Amino acid sequence: MSKKAYNEQWIFNREVQDTARRWGKSKLLLPEQVQAIGAAFPSEFYQPHLFIRIALFVFTCLANMTAAGLVFLAVMGIGDYRSGSEEVRILLGCLLCGGGSLLLLETLISANHLYRSGIDNALLYLSVAYLAVALVISYGLLLPLSLEPDDLQEQGLLWPLLAILAAAMLTAIIRYADPLAAVLTLLLYLGIVGTVMLRLPLGKALLPFALMLACAGSYWLVQQLTRRPDYLYYRPAVRTVKFLTLAFFYLAGNYLVVREANALLNGLPYSVQISFAPLFYFFTVAIPLLYLYQGLRRADRIFLYAGLLTLVFSIYTYRFYRSVLPPEWALTLAGTFLILLSGWALRYLRPARHGLTSEPANTPSEFSQLNLESLVMSHVTESTMQVPEPGFQFGGGQSGGGGAEGKY
Amino acid sequence: MTEKILASLRALHLISAEQADVIATHEREKPFSLYYELRTLLSLGVTLLSAGLGLLIYQNIDTLGHGVIVALIALISGAGFAYAHRQRQPFSWRATPASTGADYALLLACLTLLTLVGYLQYQYNFFGSRYGLLVILPTLVFFYCAYRFDHRGVLSMALTGLAAWVGVSIAPVSAYTANNYALPHLDAVAIALGLGLAAVGLASEHQDRKKHFGYTYVLLGSNLALVALLTAMFRGSYEAASFLPPLLAALLIIGLSGALYWYARRTHSYIFVLLGALYGYIAVTYLYFQLSELNRDFEVTAFLYFPASAVGVVLLLLNLKKIVGSHEQKGI
Repeated sequence: MSKKAYNEQWIFNREVQDTARRWGKSKLLLPEQVQAIGAAFPSEFYQPHLFIRIALFVFTCLANMTAAGLVFLAVMGIGDYRSGSEEVRILLGCLLCGGGSLLLLETLISANHLYRSGIDNALLYLSVAYLAVALVISYGLLLPLSLEPDDLQEQGLLWPLLAILAAAMLTAIIRYADPLAAVLTLLLYLGIVGTVMLRLPLGKALLPFALMLACAGSYWLVQQLTRRPDYLYYRPAVRTVKFLTLAFFYLAGNYLVVREANALLNGLPYSVQISFAPLFYFFTVAIPLLYLYQGLRRADRIFLYAGLLTLVFSIYTYRFYRSVLPPEWALTLAGTFLILLSGWALRYLRPARHGLTSEPANTPSEFSQLNLESLVMSHVTESTMQVPEPGFQFGGGQSGGGGAEGKY
Repeated sequence: MTEKILASLRALHLISAEQADVIATHEREKPFSLYYELRTLLSLGVTLLSAGLGLLIYQNIDTLGHGVIVALIALISGAGFAYAHRQRQPFSWRATPASTGADYALLLACLTLLTLVGYLQYQYNFFGSRYGLLVILPTLVFFYCAYRFDHRGVLSMALTGLAAWVGVSIAPVSAYTANNYALPHLDAVAIALGLGLAAVGLASEHQDRKKHFGYTYVLLGSNLALVALLTAMFRGSYEAASFLPPLLAALLIIGLSGALYWYARRTHSYIFVLLGALYGYIAVTYLYFQLSELNRDFEVTAFLYFPASAVGVVLLLLNLKKIVGSHEQKGI
């Protein structure tokens, strides 16, 4: 059995097809070429439209969970009922359901060529969930303690549990490259760092720095992964982790988060000024700006979105402690500012400047005005040398805003 | 990734070396498009500004600056309409995409118009007790603007206004009668309005009158009708006096779901498959348990009903592609 659940070649072919279609829209390729490329790089994945995937996800979850209900009913009802055997029975039920779902998942992926089609997402999440519960229960059975997180932390036994779960998630990522599993792994990783730090003598004071360092570490790892030859297989997961790493790096250094978390951890009734406050002010201001700069300079949408969101949170942080403007004025002024800024940028960047443009990505740019046909030889056998159709233009585009739905 | 793709395309002689060079240069030098980001910021700005002004006007109602604010809102609204008017395209029943600026100016104008109308009523009791006018007047303006300036956002605002008008003008009357009787009546209106809107959507597609508006009409209309039918179905099961027998409501939901499925296949707007599947499933489940009440032995099958039926829906959706045939996915 191969290490990866989905056909890697088809994933690459799908990428080639998408890219060729994009190039076709930018008139870098002739329509015949795009068609020929589609034929030469086939992908047999069953990938329906987003909304059908959502429907498939919902109904698969429903089917699986109701079926699991039957399994649990059977497991709980079989034999005579001794006290103390309840946990073992639940464990058995979880193992049965998890194993069954996993088996079904594997069969369906190979039989129906699923690739993030809703069904496989649902089965993966549910089977991982059953197995994770099974792991937690068996951990509890091995220990003579209750499974309260506080008690475990007291004994220093919380982080091994988190590590076991993280290892399980990591296995799921390696095989299925699922973004949600990657998110959970990242959270578990940060949770392990946090629980270990909190047991150290100076841990509480150094927690923000440790978490920031941990995020820097996972960012470095993400950067390493992008150089792997099978990066494409893991790309959705890697991108999701990259975004969350940026977000958590910021949150770990954000003044509001640090101050409130400090109050929470020390059991204070209200939050007080923290030590190293100026440093956290600096982080709160500088990190969003750094992200935005990186995003625009390196044409990296993940950095750009992280920058925009963290900037909003920084403004919220400031307004949380200092009331500068009444909300109605703040809304009005922010709205005016945004309209003016984006209006100006839309106009200013119309012919691209500084490597940025306000035009949609696939419209024929100046570059494609070059007469590409003259460059195209008769390499493509079926390409009859006809003038390409004037590609359809994106542009204009309607806003779908204000779409409140009347419900009673 | 670009190099890898180009290399494999070159290996199969699907592109020429010159083309590969041109594409590589293009990928290296193409500018970073901020089109959607800037548009999102713009619409966020429009929403924030109109919300801020809407609060501002009531916060300062007794102060000196109040008149200034009202004048400012009127000015913004007027300027927005004027700008959209100046940038207008000649009217056509087809899509006439306007410039980004005109689109958002119109949206801002319409939002501030709502604030202004509400304020006129609040301060001067402009429309008296004819509350219906308060809603229907802006709605009419929105309808006109949506069609004249070809703006789907304003169209959905108009449809929301229309629904509110129906709701508002009925609720005050029913306040004098008993609430129990009034609510099913509201259901009936909602069902009628929803079905009517969906029909308008279908007609506009069929007659090619602003074909691209059909989606908005059918989505808002069918959702309204389905929600209303669903409440009618569940209320009908424990209330004797209902205008619609629950059984009929369930059948109507199933029928409407089927129609949505047909519509989705025709227009490749797969959100209607999702709507139809969810509501249809609820209705079928309801019918099934109505049946099981007739026969006591039936109840055991309930355990098996859910897994089996959900698997059935999944199989149905999986075979959708075989029924429809493969095509490049588009639509909303």
